[in-house]
Amino acid sequence: MKSKNNGKDFCMFALPGMFCFFAVVIIPFLYGVYLTFTDWNGVSQTKNFIGLKNFAGVMSDRQFWSSLLLTFKYVIVVVLLVNVIAFAIAYLLTRGIKGQNFFRAGFFTPNLIGGIVLGYIWQFVFSRVFVNIGEGTGWNLFEISWLSEPNRAFAALILVSVWQLSGYMILIYVAGFMGLSEDVMEAASIDGASGFAKLKNIVLPLMMSSITICLFLTLSRAFMVYDLNLSLTAGGPYGTTEMAAMHVYEKAFTSRQFGVGQAEALILFIVVACISGLQVYFTKKQEVEA
Amino acid sequence: MKKKIAAKVIASALTMALTAATLTGCRFGFASDPDDPNEVKKEVTIDTSVDTFQYDTGLEGTSITLLNSKAEIQVALEKMSAAFEEKSGVHVEVMPVTDGDSPYTKVVSLYNSGNPPTLSILDTTDVIALAEEKAEDLTDEAWTVEAEGYLTEVNGRVYSFPLCIEGRGLIYNKAVIEAALGEPFDPSQIKTQDDFTALLDRLVAAGIERPVSMAKEDWSLGAHQLQYIYETYDGTSEGAQEIIEQIKAGELDLEEYNRMSEFLNMFDILKNYNVAKGDPLGADYDEMAIDLADGKTAFWFNGNWAWPNLEEAGAETEDAYGFLPYFLNNDENDFANQMIQGSPSKQIMLDGQIASDQEKAAAKEFLNWIVYSEIGQQMLVKSCSLIPPFKNNPYEPEDPLSRDIYEHVQNGTAFNASAIVPNDHWSILGAAMQKYLAGRCDREELMQSIEEYWAQQ
Repeated sequence: MKSKNNGKDFCMFALPGMFCFFAVVIIPFLYGVYLTFTDWNGVSQTKNFIGLKNFAGVMSDRQFWSSLLLTFKYVIVVVLLVNVIAFAIAYLLTRGIKGQNFFRAGFFTPNLIGGIVLGYIWQFVFSRVFVNIGEGTGWNLFEISWLSEPNRAFAALILVSVWQLSGYMILIYVAGFMGLSEDVMEAASIDGASGFAKLKNIVLPLMMSSITICLFLTLSRAFMVYDLNLSLTAGGPYGTTEMAAMHVYEKAFTSRQFGVGQAEALILFIVVACISGLQVYFTKKQEVEA
Repeated sequence: MKKKIAAKVIASALTMALTAATLTGCRFGFASDPDDPNEVKKEVTIDTSVDTFQYDTGLEGTSITLLNSKAEIQVALEKMSAAFEEKSGVHVEVMPVTDGDSPYTKVVSLYNSGNPPTLSILDTTDVIALAEEKAEDLTDEAWTVEAEGYLTEVNGRVYSFPLCIEGRGLIYNKAVIEAALGEPFDPSQIKTQDDFTALLDRLVAAGIERPVSMAKEDWSLGAHQLQYIYETYDGTSEGAQEIIEQIKAGELDLEEYNRMSEFLNMFDILKNYNVAKGDPLGADYDEMAIDLADGKTAFWFNGNWAWPNLEEAGAETEDAYGFLPYFLNNDENDFANQMIQGSPSKQIMLDGQIASDQEKAAAKEFLNWIVYSEIGQQMLVKSCSLIPPFKNNPYEPEDPLSRDIYEHVQNGTAFNASAIVPNDHWSILGAAMQKYLAGRCDREELMQSIEEYWAQQ
């Protein structure tokens, strides 16, 4: 429906929001893109245009590509684990067991603790509590701090991320399960579908909209992980757990290669945007109406 | 029904595991909280009866800002600014750099927002990065004479005020060594690497199984330890610069460079007697202070800034702590075996771009006040517990670590060399050193990463 005061409505309702959106998202973003073509160091008055030199710098920054690869590994494992675990627990918690509200709250709690604090708590757990357990029991697994061995530090990072992210996803999946129509389920049972068949043919397709949201959230959160990375391992031991976002920050502010860091951030953005875009497109296609 | 029970069991087990983890995390995490409410803090008394400093009355009512990147002196600086305001009428607002923010990033973002601090406390490398673009030229200030030898020059001009001298080496706990050996300990008798190893062996025989603590932090390994290879080239900042230029240009093969192999020999000794030898990268910084104070170890590689940690761990100002040099070889005449490294570390930079003339004058008066007024001199040393780089300052630091560095500086047994390295040196080469410390790479690989790092600069 078109109305005559179209312009006025637009100005009243959309303009303030648009203005804020442009001021804090679009303009800084474009400015950031512009900075990747200059040699600005964050301080100087002059910004010289240097073409694609910064991107050449990104190409030769081996550490960036290895941390991007590591981020991919991390994202794949975290996204899979979080969604499988969250889906399973949400399934259990909608079966009507006693105290299920309590359990829902319990699982959600880790998500309320900020990444930095969580990182410090777990750092203590990994490097003190576990080591003490190791000393007491002689278990090899806990003999040294998990954070001082590259593979275990990576595992530690995944463990904590999964622990933190699952709670939130459980909540979304629980909402999805609650929304499942009883009629459909009953009809399926009467038709003789049971257990796995029901899950595969009825529940999963109907849950696709929740899965779309959860996959998107876990994907983007896992790609952009920084706080947990910083407080739990700080990229250590010897730089082996430095994720892409952290590397970008280090490049720009510790190494003071502002342009290269900015260019890396742009590349990271494009990668994440493409992957989550594709994911949303494909999972949306799977969604069905009951 | 069966399913339900299984679900219940799994869900409750998981929840219990989670809550247990949260609880233990919290309880242990805060157990070491140093703020004991029952502890009585000793107030440092400042004698304000004598003050011969000439204040410029024209500056009264001016307000300036000071960005502080040295968190441990925040309270002391606030007291200093209050004392200064009372006398001069100039208000100095002390802004802390919050945890997790690097001072450089903070200053740069303040500059970009058009609201830079009048004065900022920065590291030497930061000052050099900003000097010509942003800082006020301080070459003609009177205090430059008093701080001779401790000034940082950029193209022959002075852009910063040296706030303090900091030194580093092997901190020893005298009481522990004496108790273990059953004889008086005279640090000046340890003159060579062999002497030091012999001492360590005796301590081991006396029951201190692993007498050395070594931080795994990249700043300690990459900046404080590794930089000895530049700074002991000839014990001057110029020499350090020279050797860096040579490495950068690829003219110097590190495998042929004496100081490199000597440094690694010493590093290997420390590594061998490291209390956390089983898991060197799992070492905990706070625990090292506790170990040294309690006598589980006798040495800790660190600097005089570690005093607050030791004090929290139970050390008293009356206790005897001091520094041994970082022994590089067995030559008694090598300065590196006899002298402690001590150089100006934190610098105050005055903004030359945005600040008005009035503000600049007020800031300069504040700096002069620190150097020349009796109150400023006392507060720099007593309230902030800093080692003053100014010759005219008659006060001596109170804590044993700073006092030891101070005495070394006074007796001429300290060498003043600070290598100016790129800002990411500590983080990138710190990681390489961690790898070596953990025994996951050999000397060749370490040297190669150092050479590669410099080749990229």
